[in-house]
Amino acid sequence: MHNEIANSLNSKVSGANAQAHIATVGDSSITVEASKILDVCKVLKTEGFNVLQVITGTDYSDRLEVTYSLCDFIANRDLLLKVKLARGNGAGNNKDTLPKLDSVTSLWRSAHFLERETYDMLGVNFIGNPDLRRILCPDDWQGYPLRKDYVVQEKYLDMVVNPAHKINTADHMFGKKLKEELGDPKKVSVSWKDSSGGDAEEDAKDGE
Amino acid sequence: MQDSVVMMKVDDFLNWGRKNSLWPMTFGLACCAIEMMATGASKYDLERFGCGAFMATPRRADLMIVAGTVTLKMATRIKTLFEQMPEPRYVISMGSCANKGGPYWQHGYHVLKGVDEVVPVDVYVPGCPPRPEALIEGIMTLQKKIANERILRDKWVKHA
Repeated sequence: MHNEIANSLNSKVSGANAQAHIATVGDSSITVEASKILDVCKVLKTEGFNVLQVITGTDYSDRLEVTYSLCDFIANRDLLLKVKLARGNGAGNNKDTLPKLDSVTSLWRSAHFLERETYDMLGVNFIGNPDLRRILCPDDWQGYPLRKDYVVQEKYLDMVVNPAHKINTADHMFGKKLKEELGDPKKVSVSWKDSSGGDAEEDAKDGE
Repeated sequence: MQDSVVMMKVDDFLNWGRKNSLWPMTFGLACCAIEMMATGASKYDLERFGCGAFMATPRRADLMIVAGTVTLKMATRIKTLFEQMPEPRYVISMGSCANKGGPYWQHGYHVLKGVDEVVPVDVYVPGCPPRPEALIEGIMTLQKKIANERILRDKWVKHA
């Protein structure tokens, strides 16, 4: 199914560069050029995929991928449509430094909130969304939490996010002891902060 | 005449009245709120403790049961709600999340590590979520705490 759809997209939308990825395990998908997403969605909508189930995204450290899950209730088939984006600069609260992608709200009204969530969590600037604000995090939030390089803020308003007196060092000691007993740091996933100031997670990486 | 006279200390009388008419606020944040609703429903029947009248406004409530995960976004609202409650007011922190951040205690970028960071907590109820029995015990603990208060002495007698 995916190969036929990819071929038809390539013939109908110039520059779509649709590529089908047939997965042996998990779900197959089609990747298209990010700049052509609106045209591709228009074609797919006329071809039966008239329901937009979800828009979500993933951060792969070197790129962002935004995934559209489309559904065809008549023919009982669904499709994962992916676009790849450059990551841009996700620090702070500035929309101009984010990767840009055309909004599909003109095709599906339901895309509005889904795009807002993707913007909130991953920092994708959807051009054409009527009201692109944060939807889960507060409006004055800094950064995009699902990005791999997201740094947890020290303070939000006057509240300390990770107060030192609330960190249970006993849990960390438990993990440290477990590591020593097993002799292999890879077998234990401990990510608690070391009481001496070092990061147990980084220690584990050094051991690899 | 003799039968209709009760002799007791004013403190005890006030405390007896207050501890048996704790009105909680209708206020739930996450899955703990489901247990709180179960506690209020017929099987566990919170009304036995005079505590089943969930008020829909903080201005009529004596007790805030913080039932669930307190996100940073919600924390400011909780503080506002607490400030709107008339004194004397009490807070029960219900469940691991409200106590200390629960499963979000290190990697929860958006979770307040314990509601006691923003409001004073009287009773902590552990559990994830606590069973209705645990919440009832928390409320009974709070009732014992109220019964031992010396509100007149603390308020008006300066040399105490």
